[in-house]
Amino acid sequence: MTSEPGADPATGTPLSVRGVSRRFGSVQALANVDFTLESGEIHALVGENGAGKSTLAKIVAGSIRSDSGSMSLFGQPYRPTSRREGAAAGVAHVRQQLSLVRGLTVAQNLQLGRPGAPAFFNAASARAEVERWSDEFSLSVPAETLVDDMPLAVRQQAEILIAVAWGARLLILDEPSSALGPLETKALIALCHRLRSEGTPILYISHRLPELAELADRLTVLRAGRVVVEGADVRAADLREVATLMIGDVSLLEVNRPEIEQGTTRLTVTDLSVSSTQEIGCHGLNFEVAGGEILGVVGIAGNGQDSLAKALTGQVKLASGHVLVDGEDISGSARQAIAAGVAHLHEDRSTGLAAAFSVADNATARHVRSGRFTRFGVRLADKIARHAGELVERFQVRPPEPAARASSLSGGNQQKLMAARELEKNPTVLVAHGPTKGLDPEAAKAMRDRCFASAQAGGAVVVISADLDEVSDLAHRVVVLYRGRVTDAFPIEEMTSERLGAAMAGLTETMGDASG
Amino acid sequence: MPVADTFIGGDVGDAPPEPLEDEGRRLTTSLSTSCLAVLIAIVLGGLIMLMSGENPLTAYTAMVDGAFGSKFALGETLSRAAPLAIVGYGTAVALRAGLITIGAQGQVVAGAIGALVTAQFFESAPSAVAIPAAALGGALFGMAWVLIPALLRAHFSVNEILSTLLFTEFAALLIEYLLNNPLKPPTAITPQSDPYPDNGILGLVIDGTRFHVGVFVAVAIGLLFVWWVRSDRGFSYDLYGENPNLAQSLGISGNRVIVNSLLISGATAGLVGWIQAAGLLQRVYVEIASDIGFFGLVVAFLGGATPGGVLVAALLFGALQSGGLAMQSSEGIPASLSDIIQALLLLGFSIRYAPQIIRLTRGVMANFTLIGKRRK
Repeated sequence: MTSEPGADPATGTPLSVRGVSRRFGSVQALANVDFTLESGEIHALVGENGAGKSTLAKIVAGSIRSDSGSMSLFGQPYRPTSRREGAAAGVAHVRQQLSLVRGLTVAQNLQLGRPGAPAFFNAASARAEVERWSDEFSLSVPAETLVDDMPLAVRQQAEILIAVAWGARLLILDEPSSALGPLETKALIALCHRLRSEGTPILYISHRLPELAELADRLTVLRAGRVVVEGADVRAADLREVATLMIGDVSLLEVNRPEIEQGTTRLTVTDLSVSSTQEIGCHGLNFEVAGGEILGVVGIAGNGQDSLAKALTGQVKLASGHVLVDGEDISGSARQAIAAGVAHLHEDRSTGLAAAFSVADNATARHVRSGRFTRFGVRLADKIARHAGELVERFQVRPPEPAARASSLSGGNQQKLMAARELEKNPTVLVAHGPTKGLDPEAAKAMRDRCFASAQAGGAVVVISADLDEVSDLAHRVVVLYRGRVTDAFPIEEMTSERLGAAMAGLTETMGDASG
Repeated sequence: MPVADTFIGGDVGDAPPEPLEDEGRRLTTSLSTSCLAVLIAIVLGGLIMLMSGENPLTAYTAMVDGAFGSKFALGETLSRAAPLAIVGYGTAVALRAGLITIGAQGQVVAGAIGALVTAQFFESAPSAVAIPAAALGGALFGMAWVLIPALLRAHFSVNEILSTLLFTEFAALLIEYLLNNPLKPPTAITPQSDPYPDNGILGLVIDGTRFHVGVFVAVAIGLLFVWWVRSDRGFSYDLYGENPNLAQSLGISGNRVIVNSLLISGATAGLVGWIQAAGLLQRVYVEIASDIGFFGLVVAFLGGATPGGVLVAALLFGALQSGGLAMQSSEGIPASLSDIIQALLLLGFSIRYAPQIIRLTRGVMANFTLIGKRRK
């Protein structure tokens, strides 16, 4: 860091961040960020996925270092080199993926890794301490239940409680409400207010604007690593304007989109609901996609996208509703979906490929149990390698080596390999979940062209993405998901930052029907 | 707040996605790990011999001689390796599908009971009927013994390691009951069954050795396993083991993979029970399975769940066992030193599975804590 000691004189300001930048490879995650957390306030840090919120939080907590800039903590220069140092200085970072050890009790977690903890675990005193803090904040965190057996909301309370017990003077809550229901969110807000009244300032990271109005005092908006709004009064702010600022200018027409003639409806989704223990699920979705049409499903990650992708490809049992492909119901059967010509580009390449298997086995995996490439039930390695060689050539996977392990390919080529497997034949329906996520520009263009080609060949394409540029590059029409429901739907020409921002942040009334 | 993640490192925030993990879920061992485990076991075993005042060179020479040095020695090694290989192949099918079954021991016991009961039923039938029938009976009993764990795993995600181990305990209790009560001949003093019916006995192939028909069964099962590994069905099971999410998205039923692969492992273990009862012991005892079930698992793991690997690992353990006994009789070095080497082998390669073992232990502990809570 290039800080001059005492850049921020001892004013006692809990946290002052000056000119902090951080780069990951070619991505400028944070650029010259200034930020101040005053005493006794809850300060919301908002922004889109990838805006740099979590990076900033991690720099403050000490888990990663900034490339340049300086920080001060309660008036003292602050340069943590590890999360442990940050914790010792009084900064506690409660992250989305909670860091409690799940096989231990809350009391055990309290003592584990605690700064200055005695070498031996004293069960009775740890339990008493958990109970004391739990009472203090009117919570009911059980001291001796395994973390694994507690609901998510209680785990989170336990983690906050442990942070306070460890002497946190400043709390960072990173997306704390993303997996909570409305009632649990209310309890969390109450806890935050309680902490504030006890004098602990909170940096609260979220992109759910409605709850911030109730919760926070001030807010700072980050966009693409830069501060767009610093420390605005939440009560005076127009949340719709904030939503627009979060998103920035939505850029249209940057990509040369081919003219695609639209055909008749190929994909029909009626009253689709999925209940999921892992994420928000989907609730009562209705939409249709025609052949040649590309529908963009946007929303901040974790608003039901995974459930929707699985439902459209027959991978989950539906709680209600139907998914029809050319009139045939494929609900709940991946086998039927494949037979009906549904292709699926998985969001995560680690679930979309068999990493330890060869390129040839991956490229031809869609034919498994189809009887193709087998004789007497035995796989014909030559035939498979030859066919895979052709596919790999066609989809420009580099190196075009069928015997190589899939894990040895670069990310872009893994994505191409997945496309080779799924798009060998023109699909009737293509479900592309974040198809260009994390790819370099060349590979991203190749994937966009695949989506266009599928549409041109008469397929219905659904692009599910948290990346607005990806959707605006590809889609003809957009539906917005918020908490598993469609909050808005419109043709791409009508897409504006205001409208999108409001729908993504949950400021729009939920729409019953979003068919286009 | 717990800071465990800083110790582990790798907390790099919004960094670009990393390439896929190579050996994320795969349970199968690589060749180098296995060879290393063998090497470590031999060296450590040698050190232990030195410490107990034996010459490792003499001991190992005697072992090799006792395992391969004569027609008798070779027959002994093969007859000990055959059941290990059969159990190993069956376990390997499950292992490749991502399932760790450790219930082979109980399935061998169940298979022995099944074979005996079937053979007694066909007592007056010609051997050509009685022998295959008893084999089938053994296999079916072995399958029956894994059916409940398999269904629990498929439909309720009950950990198969724990449930199959539990069923091994059930098998031990069952055979003790049967051999003390219904199956015990009135004249017998110790728990044992009637002699195995003559028309179902598997003969010795070479006189003067213990080389029995079971060796041919092992070869046949080995060939079937080679076919399985190359088959489309086998591939789909392997795919499930490597990436269950992907397999299911390609229309492969996870439940079917789980149940079928566990049934296959049960069937092979059941066959071993039949071989033990009809071939070697010609009677059913409480100790009918000796430790074949457990060592068969080790063979599957050590052999990396591949056809050649399992074969080599089975031969290695067969040789260690027969060689150890020979060493004791020829050089007076205790055969338990051979046991120590086998145990070291187990330890050596189990390091590869340390994360799975830790997760399992944690699961067990969690269950115990829960039980304790309920009792209060």
